[in-house]
Amino acid sequence: MRRHARRRRAAEHRFRLLGRAAVAVSIGCLLFLLGSMLVAGIGGIDGHFLRGTDATEATRAGIGAALRGSLMVLGLTLALALPVGVLAALYLEELAPRSAWATLIEGSINNLAAVPSIIFGLLGLLLFLGTMGLPRSAPLVGGLTLALMTMPVIVIAGRSAIRAVPGSIREAALAVGASRVQVTFHHVLPRAWPGILTGAIIGGSRALGETAPLLLIGMRAFIPAAPTGMTEPATVLPVQIFLWSDQIDRGFAEKTSAAIVVLLVLLFAMNGVAAWLRHRGEVRR
Amino acid sequence: MTAGTKMTVRDVSVWYGAKPALSNVSLDIEREEVIALIGPSGCGKSTLLRTLNRLNDSVAGARVQGLVTLDGEDVYAPATDPVALRARVGMVFQAPNPFPKTIRENVAYGLRIHGLARGRADLDAQVERALTRAGLWAEVRDRLGDPALSLSGGQQQRLCIARALAVEPEVILMDEPCSALDPIGTARIEELIGDLRGRYAICIVTHNMQQAARVSQRTAFFDAGRLIEYGATSELFTNPRETRTRDYITGRYG
Ligand SMILES: Nc1ncnc2c1ncn2[C@@H]1O[C@H](COP(=O)(O)OP(=O)(O)OP(=O)(O)O)[C@@H](O)[C@H]1O
Ligand SMILES: [Mg+2]
Repeated sequence: MRRHARRRRAAEHRFRLLGRAAVAVSIGCLLFLLGSMLVAGIGGIDGHFLRGTDATEATRAGIGAALRGSLMVLGLTLALALPVGVLAALYLEELAPRSAWATLIEGSINNLAAVPSIIFGLLGLLLFLGTMGLPRSAPLVGGLTLALMTMPVIVIAGRSAIRAVPGSIREAALAVGASRVQVTFHHVLPRAWPGILTGAIIGGSRALGETAPLLLIGMRAFIPAAPTGMTEPATVLPVQIFLWSDQIDRGFAEKTSAAIVVLLVLLFAMNGVAAWLRHRGEVRR
Repeated sequence: MTAGTKMTVRDVSVWYGAKPALSNVSLDIEREEVIALIGPSGCGKSTLLRTLNRLNDSVAGARVQGLVTLDGEDVYAPATDPVALRARVGMVFQAPNPFPKTIRENVAYGLRIHGLARGRADLDAQVERALTRAGLWAEVRDRLGDPALSLSGGQQQRLCIARALAVEPEVILMDEPCSALDPIGTARIEELIGDLRGRYAICIVTHNMQQAARVSQRTAFFDAGRLIEYGATSELFTNPRETRTRDYITGRYG
């Protein structure tokens, strides 16, 4: 009996060490990245940098235009992907009859979420620029393309949030004579909403950091002005970082690091909001 | 069908997938009576309740055969709207399941979706009436805006009863409504059932023989998906026809 307990304690101890090592490795990488970017780039962050636009001379270049472009693209992405994704998730979980079709659609959505982002860029190029003739490099096309990419992520997160709503609540509503649609919108959606929003923010932060698909739809040009409309040529933060990183030898090293710091801060802030929502959702039930 | 019959069940069988849960059950639910369903765990009591208000429609693989009527109309006829049916046949579940909303909203919800209230004052009045009937009004009158989940288990169960009463159903199905309650809460609900008798046809599932004897006029004993015995409660408890019934009610079952 004692020997058994000792062995169990030893195993517990080993697992603890292993776990700590795993945490240390991931946190260490993140800290290294953040630290080195801060050291290299913090000097480049000032009001002019945050408000300015891209320029040929490193000293005059700023990320204001790229920030604005990112917000426009992200806004459109979420404005399209969130309602469509939520409706799809609600329909699949609550209303769709169980059938071979439903299974097929579920499988396709899971696969879509795993498709590499550059493929979505190619799709955007063919569909929005080719077939529909929309302007290159515009936030409109960027938002449409990233919405295609983000939607399956929101559907999947939304479905698991919806599935976590206890069946007893659905039955309670059905038993007083609510229809399936009323059950869905009066009871399931409000209860699942924090989880859905968390998924949307995680999908949105992925979209915010995306570069490859945007390069494919033409967002790779030198844009010396902030976009004023959804169809104006624009650039976004990660693309700006990508473009500047190519010109390190022309004095853009500090600017690149500074832009990376800004992007990371934005991403952390979004994930922080997601964590807060998740926590609030858990406390309330 | 006699004049006093509210619901009839004729040769009803229910399956979950390939598994039979009820076989050839026939019984009547009278207008002014309480009928108790008793029997060992898994014998199909909840299944029968969920067949009466078609709640099993949303259970994948559940299949019903036979005839169920409400006021002589076929509950499973293609023309019957299950949503309208459930407004007439209310249900209280084994575990209290209030909506995670306010106390007031729990009771008001059914009134709202069925458009039963004319304006705010009428809604408030009906909420009060339902809570009063469920014996909860005195305890919650000052905290109607509090979350329902802040109530005790017994209060939650009475809230669920108020929620069911609010829409003025004609039949009330209760699935072991006292299983999560202490003796005081249980006594309250039994008293409530006594008050409600006559106004609603009531069908209650219980594992408590004394409770069945106290609250019901008729009792149905089930075993393994079959209706073994069915008759006046006084008769069934004092002079059961079947040995299985006698073994069960005297605790010698198994
Ligand atoms: N959703 C379901 N899917 C599959 N089988 C089910 C389902 N619900 C009930 N059953 C089965 O049907 C049979 C009857 O179940 P039911 O819940 O009606 O029993 P019960 O008499 O209410 O039991 P208890 O007293 O324990 O509540 C059981 O064998 C049960 O396993
Ligand atoms: Mg049961």
